[in-house]
Amino acid sequence: MIEFTNLNKWFGSLHVLKDIDLAVTKGEVVVVCGPSGSGKSTLIRCINGLEPFQKGRLVVDGFDLGSSSVRLRELRMEVGFVFQSFNLYPHKTALENVTLAPIHVRGLSKAEADDRGRALLEKVGLADRMQSYPHQLSGGQQQRVAIARSLCMQPKIMLFDEPTSALDPEMINEVLDVMVSLAREGMTMMVVTHEMGFARKVADRVIFMDRGAIVETADPESFFTNPQSERSRDFLSKVLHH
Amino acid sequence: MFWLQLNRVIGYWPVLLKGIGMTLALSALSLLIGVVIGFAFGILRAGPNKALSRVVGLYVDFFRGTPFLVQVFIVFFILPEIGIELSAFTAGVVALSNAAACFIGEIVAAGIQSVPTGQTEAAAASGFTRAQQMRLIVLPQAIRVVTPSLVGQFVLLIKDSSVVSAIGLLDLTRSGWMIVQSVPNGLLVFGIVGIGYFAICYPLIWLSRRMERHGQAPIL
Amino acid sequence: MLGSLNTRVMLEYLPDIWQGFLSTLMLSTTGFAGALTLGIIACALSIQPVRWLRAPATVYIDAVRATPLLAQLYFLYFGLPRLGIVLPEILIGIIVLSLNSGAYVAEIIRSGILAISRGQVEAAISSGMTYLQRMRLIILPQALRPTISPLIGQAIVLVKDSSLLSLISVVELTRAGQMIAIDRFMPIEGLVATALAYLLLYYLLKLLAGIWSHQNRLPGRA
Repeated sequence: MIEFTNLNKWFGSLHVLKDIDLAVTKGEVVVVCGPSGSGKSTLIRCINGLEPFQKGRLVVDGFDLGSSSVRLRELRMEVGFVFQSFNLYPHKTALENVTLAPIHVRGLSKAEADDRGRALLEKVGLADRMQSYPHQLSGGQQQRVAIARSLCMQPKIMLFDEPTSALDPEMINEVLDVMVSLAREGMTMMVVTHEMGFARKVADRVIFMDRGAIVETADPESFFTNPQSERSRDFLSKVLHH
Repeated sequence: MFWLQLNRVIGYWPVLLKGIGMTLALSALSLLIGVVIGFAFGILRAGPNKALSRVVGLYVDFFRGTPFLVQVFIVFFILPEIGIELSAFTAGVVALSNAAACFIGEIVAAGIQSVPTGQTEAAAASGFTRAQQMRLIVLPQAIRVVTPSLVGQFVLLIKDSSVVSAIGLLDLTRSGWMIVQSVPNGLLVFGIVGIGYFAICYPLIWLSRRMERHGQAPIL
Repeated sequence: MLGSLNTRVMLEYLPDIWQGFLSTLMLSTTGFAGALTLGIIACALSIQPVRWLRAPATVYIDAVRATPLLAQLYFLYFGLPRLGIVLPEILIGIIVLSLNSGAYVAEIIRSGILAISRGQVEAAISSGMTYLQRMRLIILPQALRPTISPLIGQAIVLVKDSSLLSLISVVELTRAGQMIAIDRFMPIEGLVATALAYLLLYYLLKLLAGIWSHQNRLPGRA
């Protein structure tokens, strides 16, 4: 589904992604972690073309992101993206946030989109907040709307960029629960997060990044119990004991 | 003496009424055209095409940097030289809506730039085209931010319309100018003219202040 | 269109344009000085808690903001003789420009003062400062800094507004341009020269505003 081959990216003279090689297969759940500034957000933002790259190859669901003729819009219809800061549309209700893209991008009728949107908002536990505006919702509720918004496009892949780091601690679990059930349904997911409980529960693989490079790839159990590199040990001791 | 003069001014009510009508027609028409072109300017100005943005910026600067009276003369005296004959009214509408578009364009561009980049990113990630992102996500938010300034701009437009009297258009100011030739009491005549403008402009000023105080335009 | 410009005529009239330019500069600076004075007084009155001090300032500010400059100009130009006051046109022009811009200056300074947090005032009161000390030491230094850019903006408006004085036959830039048009039947040359001179002033003031805001970014703000 997602295949990085020797991918490199620079911000000016800053080398932010170094020789990335990574393949994610259908139905796989991959957790990406690492210290801030390690390039993990940049990595998943490349997957739906929010960030361009300079060297190497990236193929997502058959779309070659390096080619100049790539149909970015068609790719993005198949790839859902959940942001750290939710980025809900403040002038639209929860339901409108969810149905806007299906109506205008997929071309669904309003009735179809509404049905689909209601079902998804119910699924994430917000049946009673469909007509609320984003500013009337808590952070956890907003992020669940954002997840429903992505799902409503019926994507093949879901990307999460630190979905819980802007949340108050008591709201983290309501969002993680939605993500866990999504993973168990077989969604292909890449998740940038420090939530090690989530990684343990559903991840097939954990990727540790530092200074723009993938330092370690392992299954969650061995990554947490027996990290191979010095830097991942150092990182884990900070994350797990805070 | 005062009452006699007041009576004579009131005797001129058809002229005053005509003047108010002209001021309103001129302002409303120019406002409509100015808003449409102004939004186009603003979108280009804040757009990703740097060359286009600069060209619009230079054009807008020319009209923001020169007096409106000079612009009225340019439209009225220069356009005929290149073969475009305009009536005073058309010349007034052209000059006024063009100037309004230039000021509105800068307001709209600032409004567009005030919308957080996360909004366009989220929209792009959902597969919206650039045009859809602008129409569905960015503009509705920008409009709420800029509405108080836009209303303030409307007041300036109505007041600027008085300058068009310089090319002989019979608006509210010109009607005062005509009446004062036969009733030589400027304080009285232009006091009444001023009351006319105040009645049109003050409600808009009040509205703009109220919206600013409440932070934003009401949710539409 | 610009290709057909008669630059020789523009050069020939350059001394007249230069005179007009200086006159516009003089009208604008004196007008702006008057506007600052009036604006500070009106602002000081408008923030008083006593209603009968506030009322005249409010009436003045609203009356100016809701009526066109040209109507204000004619009001005094045709009105003052009625009161037996005969002044040269140029003086009437400066008075009207000052009165008009003064109202906007008052609003600009007022919003600067109102933007200061209540906590600043309370802190100053708590340390035992008098009203005048609070104004001088705490409120004004904070209030005036963010008003500089909008004040330069108002100066730009005033420069452009001064062109209306040509309508009561004050000789300034716009009038000088018109004279070329009338003397030689060459409206394009006159208007283009005039417009360029105004643009020069506009860009100078804009540059000034840019330099100011560049040098005075408040600490902690981008």
